[in-house]
Amino acid sequence: MIRLLLRVLGDEYARVMRRTVALMTITAVAEGASYALLVPVLRALLGSTPADAVPWLVAFGAAVAVYAVLRYISDLSGMRVGTTMLRGMYHRLGEHLARLPIGWYNADRVGEVSVMASRGVLRAMGVAAHLLAPFISVLVTPLTIVAVMIAFDWRLGLAALIAAPVVAAIHAWTARSTAAADAERHERDKEATGRVIEYLQAQPVLRAGGRTVERFQALDDALREVQRASRRTVLATLPGAVGLTLAVQAMFTVVLVSGAHLALGGNIGAAEILTILVLAARCADPLLSLTDIGGKLRGARAELDRLDTVLRTEPLPEAPDPILPVRHDLELASVTFRHGERTVFDDVSLSVPEGRRLAVVGPSGAGKSTLLQLLARFYDVDAGAVRVGGVDVRSIDTRVLTARIAVVFQDVYLFDGTIEENVRLGRPDADQADVRAAAAAARLDEVIERLPGGWATNVGEGGALLSGGERQRVSIARALLKNAPIVLLDEVTSALDPVNEAAVHEGIERLMAGRTVVMVAHRMRTVRRADRVVFLDGGRIVEEGTHDELLRRGGRYADFWDISMAPVAGE
Amino acid sequence: MTTTTDLARASERPAPPPDADPRMGRSAARLLRPHAWSFAAVVILQVVGALAGLAPLLAVVELGRTLLSPGPVDHGRVWTVMIAGAAGLFVRLLLTAASSGIGHVLDGRVQLSFRRLLAARLGLVPIGWFSRRRTGELAKVVGEDVSALHPVIAHTPGELVSAFVVPLVSLVYLFTVDWRLTLITLSPVVLAIALVPLMMTPTRLREQEEFDAAMGRIASSVVEFVQGIAVVKAFGGSQRAHRTFLSAADDFVGVFLRWVRGMSVVAAGMQLALSPPFVLLVVLIGGTALITAGSMAPADLLPFLLLGLGLTAPVAALGHGFDDLQAAGRAVGRIRDVLAVRPLPEPAHPVAPQGHRVELRDVRFGYDTDREVLRGIDLVLEPGTVTAVVGPSGSGKSTLVQLLPRFFDPTHGSVVLGGVDLREIDSRELYRLVSFVFQDVRLLRASVADNIALAVPRAGRDEVIRAARLAGIHDRILELPLGYETVIGEDARLSGGEAQRISIARALLADAPVLVLDEATSFADPQTEQAVRRALTTLEGDRTILVIAHRLETVADADIVVVLDDGSIVERGSPAELLARGGKFAEFWRSHRSATAGGTETRGGVPQGDEPR
Repeated sequence: MIRLLLRVLGDEYARVMRRTVALMTITAVAEGASYALLVPVLRALLGSTPADAVPWLVAFGAAVAVYAVLRYISDLSGMRVGTTMLRGMYHRLGEHLARLPIGWYNADRVGEVSVMASRGVLRAMGVAAHLLAPFISVLVTPLTIVAVMIAFDWRLGLAALIAAPVVAAIHAWTARSTAAADAERHERDKEATGRVIEYLQAQPVLRAGGRTVERFQALDDALREVQRASRRTVLATLPGAVGLTLAVQAMFTVVLVSGAHLALGGNIGAAEILTILVLAARCADPLLSLTDIGGKLRGARAELDRLDTVLRTEPLPEAPDPILPVRHDLELASVTFRHGERTVFDDVSLSVPEGRRLAVVGPSGAGKSTLLQLLARFYDVDAGAVRVGGVDVRSIDTRVLTARIAVVFQDVYLFDGTIEENVRLGRPDADQADVRAAAAAARLDEVIERLPGGWATNVGEGGALLSGGERQRVSIARALLKNAPIVLLDEVTSALDPVNEAAVHEGIERLMAGRTVVMVAHRMRTVRRADRVVFLDGGRIVEEGTHDELLRRGGRYADFWDISMAPVAGE
Repeated sequence: MTTTTDLARASERPAPPPDADPRMGRSAARLLRPHAWSFAAVVILQVVGALAGLAPLLAVVELGRTLLSPGPVDHGRVWTVMIAGAAGLFVRLLLTAASSGIGHVLDGRVQLSFRRLLAARLGLVPIGWFSRRRTGELAKVVGEDVSALHPVIAHTPGELVSAFVVPLVSLVYLFTVDWRLTLITLSPVVLAIALVPLMMTPTRLREQEEFDAAMGRIASSVVEFVQGIAVVKAFGGSQRAHRTFLSAADDFVGVFLRWVRGMSVVAAGMQLALSPPFVLLVVLIGGTALITAGSMAPADLLPFLLLGLGLTAPVAALGHGFDDLQAAGRAVGRIRDVLAVRPLPEPAHPVAPQGHRVELRDVRFGYDTDREVLRGIDLVLEPGTVTAVVGPSGSGKSTLVQLLPRFFDPTHGSVVLGGVDLREIDSRELYRLVSFVFQDVRLLRASVADNIALAVPRAGRDEVIRAARLAGIHDRILELPLGYETVIGEDARLSGGEAQRISIARALLADAPVLVLDEATSFADPQTEQAVRRALTTLEGDRTILVIAHRLETVADADIVVVLDDGSIVERGSPAELLARGGKFAEFWRSHRSATAGGTETRGGVPQGDEPR
């Protein structure tokens, strides 16, 4: 557990962590050892000279004071380590997330990562701050007490010690069987969540088919599976919990009965045997809470595992000796790219000379957007190479590559901030005049005029306060401001209203001027602006040429446009 | 007790207090009622078991009394006591295990019934209600929030009750042994409770608030960070969002540290007061004083040493269950909120519509009371005609068409189908009469055939295939690994356009006399556009069709065009008429044609678009 914690955090925390664990262990030993002083105190009190107890009692008081101080220090140390690790964890996660390839981020990740980065980290780091101390104390204190018992009466002490391996074995076994049940349960939960989301999103159609919850079998099955899985979890945990309790109680009973036997045989004094039984009770009590703490630790561990998985995901490798490309032509050389099981590109080659424009056309799902992402090195290819200015993108410093490319995405994400901040993202150090000029060129100025706060208007999270077309204009202004020699453009598929449509076209036209451009095009009007066209389907370039050439050829490309223009048969 | 400085507690952000609806509280209580006996069993077994757990400790006490009593030791009594002690342990084991087992099984059942209730309720609320909520959050209510009830159902009742009953019984017993030492033994508990107000000072509470706020900032900055990751990367790696996240994190750690520091001394004091060595020390000091003064028998000290520690249990239990209880309370609040949503009212005496002429009579509608989206719409859709709605975005087109399948009820006026107000029509009947293809297509994780036949579960395979052919998706389906039996989302994925076509097939199969179609602004490919147009032409005849049109050719094909602007109808008539009139529609037509010039071509009684060159 601690090893996992340290791996997740990095080695620089190993020393403080070890120190804290040592402190906690010492505290637990101190607690157990202080009970040794109960022996003379009780012997005196239960014997014929109770007043003899006083000096021993003072000593016990001193021991408790030492324990109190140790406990305060170790708790504080645990807290401090916890907080330091919390900070370290946040930073580590933040840096790592920024370096992960964009392909790693899919729709599910947003929720997953945000939960992980806020509450998850806190829960995982809680291990050091508040689970570790009880866990150590629950294990170490009883062992120390057993040691005291052995020193005091080896027969009874050994009887108690027998429980130790049994408890350890049961604990380990429970952990394993619970983990399996937990994993299954997690699966069922996920399945059910999926079904619930589906049920909610498909409400209109489901209602149309008269399928209420009783009749939407898939959902009900999933919910029942959750219940079954949770029942199985109980069945998996219960034997462990019962077994642990049984072992501890058996230990106590053995000590009790054999103690009584020894006492009756006159082999041990009454005060001694009673003291041992008090100690045995002290020994049994904490052990019984082991199940509870164990469960919490497993919860934290699952969280840690999730963090570990993310942190172990490799970011795209950085070139050790980066090469600076001098030209800005683009090339895909025999590129093969797989996404999960699916082969997106199979041996695709194409090139765009500097300053020329390439349009990418094809049915949905052909991998058009992925092509742009490979050029921007959001992913690395599985075979072949992507080259900018003749240099493999993997050999170019990421910052250099990023600086050379401006991307206009289909889905524009705006950060919660002013419109000016969002445009400035293109070039943070741009002066006011440049920002204004870029906005004017993207016809964003007319949008800004309408906004109540002008340039200082807050656009809301994700740019919620602007319409789709207006967001596009921000995105184009951003790219214009960046003034990069290469432009990657993913044209919006959705029809904008005519005003925005015209404005966006104008902006794009200005953005493309004099630059190397690769654009995913959905409108014929856009394609006509390109020097060359590739038609992509099934992970291959099916046709390539100028727009007119391809239309004349009457192949797939011509079919593609024909469909959208031919009159509908029938009527 | 580590609760007060507990990281786990901090990990749950308190939500604003739920505005509880007593009516729904009752419906939740109704769900629990059938399980009342099981709950009682859980509590009783747990309490009896915990009390039985006192037996071995009392056995030690009795052993002490017997051994320490003057005169020869009564062997028989010693063994009786031993057997009683061992039996007590066994009973405890048995009963607590049974209680825990029953509790967890009960928990599973209660959760299932809660989830079913929630799902059933969500299946009745107005469809429009969903559009303003995030599906993920609703799914969380059905999933996680119901799971959050687990500790409250399976653990808290038994554990909490026994955490109070057992010490209480011990206390009574201890009082009968020696009341003075009992009071002394209680002093650590009193001390700990006395420290509680110190943790509730205004400073502490303010720190708690700061803490929650800082946690909230982390959560929102990370969402922004992840959602905007593509932009972050495209514009120079770890810049703005990244920094925002890290500074939010540092901020949080700072607040957290302050909070912990403020708490640590008080918390340490509480922990010490409740710790076993300290309690034992107090008991021994009191015991020594009493025994040396000769006012208490030495054997009477034993019960205090053994049972005294248990007196701290209620305080510890309060802290222990507190976080879970709070989290569960918040979850219950959210569950109640969902249960409190008023379902779309069903007519008490449904009326069957005659024919399928649709009429909107002075329809007004607003999502909020202060802003109307539709301001007095009068519109008649005759059977056998296609009515196209055009207008700028935000003019209320989507809202208008959503009134037909009754996703919302109008706030004023009425929507009438076949002479009957939609509110008077049985909802099943309504859905049989009105089918729709809207922009956000949702396919189920089920076979392609099931997806197409969703609205007509009894449809035969031939009918499904015919619909698929008409929607232009049949060939694509045959390419899938299992053809019509392919499970979407498991065996294969479909593109946006393909999903659209499945949904068109769905509507074609449903074969309802009224069709509402939002010609999506985002039809991903030309094939899909073609499918829509073919669907429209195939379906014509006696049907009543209402379509939100974005493409000029759809508009040109319509019998009637309605121009919507800012929630009112500004023009209506045949496309040619409107074009000739030179008003809004003509303006729309011209700007649209110039904006998309080259990409479209039109036909019919209206001017032709650019020919492809």
